[in-house]
Amino acid sequence: MRAAEPLSDGEVVHAILTGDVEQYAVLVKRYRDRYARYAARMLGSPDAAEDAVQDAFVRAFDQLAQCREPDKFAGWFFLILRNRCFAERRRSHRDARPLGMQDEAIAGPDRSDRHVERAEDRRALERALERLTPEQRDVFVLKHVEEMSYEEIAALTGASVPSLKMRMHRAYDRLRALLKELA
Amino acid sequence: MKTEYHPLVKRLLDGELMFADLPSELRAEAEQALRWVAALDRTPVALSARLDERVMAQVRRHAKSPAGRVWRWLLGSREIDIRFHVRPWALGFAAAAAVALVVVRPGLRTAPRSVPTYVRFIFYAPGARTVSVAGTFNQWNPAAAPLVPTTSPGVWTTTVALPLGQHQYAFVVDGMRWVPDPAAPTVDDGFGQRNSVVAVAAQDGGGRAL
Repeated sequence: MRAAEPLSDGEVVHAILTGDVEQYAVLVKRYRDRYARYAARMLGSPDAAEDAVQDAFVRAFDQLAQCREPDKFAGWFFLILRNRCFAERRRSHRDARPLGMQDEAIAGPDRSDRHVERAEDRRALERALERLTPEQRDVFVLKHVEEMSYEEIAALTGASVPSLKMRMHRAYDRLRALLKELA
Repeated sequence: MKTEYHPLVKRLLDGELMFADLPSELRAEAEQALRWVAALDRTPVALSARLDERVMAQVRRHAKSPAGRVWRWLLGSREIDIRFHVRPWALGFAAAAAVALVVVRPGLRTAPRSVPTYVRFIFYAPGARTVSVAGTFNQWNPAAAPLVPTTSPGVWTTTVALPLGQHQYAFVVDGMRWVPDPAAPTVDDGFGQRNSVVAVAAQDGGGRAL
């Protein structure tokens, strides 16, 4: 006997919108981990990422009727998560302390002797990334952590490739200045 | 030390050039830049196994809430007769003010989801270089709906086709500053900020902006 084909995202969304709320668990299970690393690098910690992913799923449920292409739920959900990360970044940016006053905890647990230099670089880079605008950090994380091409980022976010490149190049310069300040 | 990377080094970081393509005088700068990028943490992030339960608990509560019932009402399929309707917003703020005009095409008789409802956003932002409107209707994409300057100094405008329903939005000034519409009602976005709200709903005898 053949196993039943899993429902497409569009079919699941339709079921939810017609009253089967429990079907939302299918989408949560399907996409809970896909953008977790992006959220963690945007927000600086896995705990913050988890809060963001949870909030984004609840918001996506509330706005599900506005998902114009239900079969592309994943991309639509990403945009909601991204907006949540932007809001958090804007809020934390207002509360940010000056460079040099931030917690060691930002660096994470990688402190083995063999990788001290790499860990120090990473720590400095994380502190510098904290100071980028949300938009600059977004494109930097998508390009260099998620390792997406500009064309893929453009398809995901709706921004044009030239504007993404301009944002990225400004981020490079800003990072260089910040890393010099931290040195 | 300069604080800007050479354009060729940026292209190297973008993956458009190889290290060997660079002139020798740029290689030290490029090595330093590549070292930083190599230091990025790319390890996968594992979320708690209980995340699913927490999401579903919230979702069930939302589905039962009065707001959820309104949401389902807005979703309901109804035949409507849309007549001309204009909603002028008060424009009286000295520093910054915004106006949203909701214009529904006259004489349309169609299902709610296909009604083209045009919302004109006007924002007063003297000194701004760019202004756009981002909201639930364009997945909060600041690049999707740019405003253009009008002949009145500092006044920007754009018109966006919105489906029936409630929409949250904010203006984005110079690509960075998110500003709620001072002439529209706002709601807490749940993340410590305020979003403006425009609602376009079907009503017997005509379309109505709430």
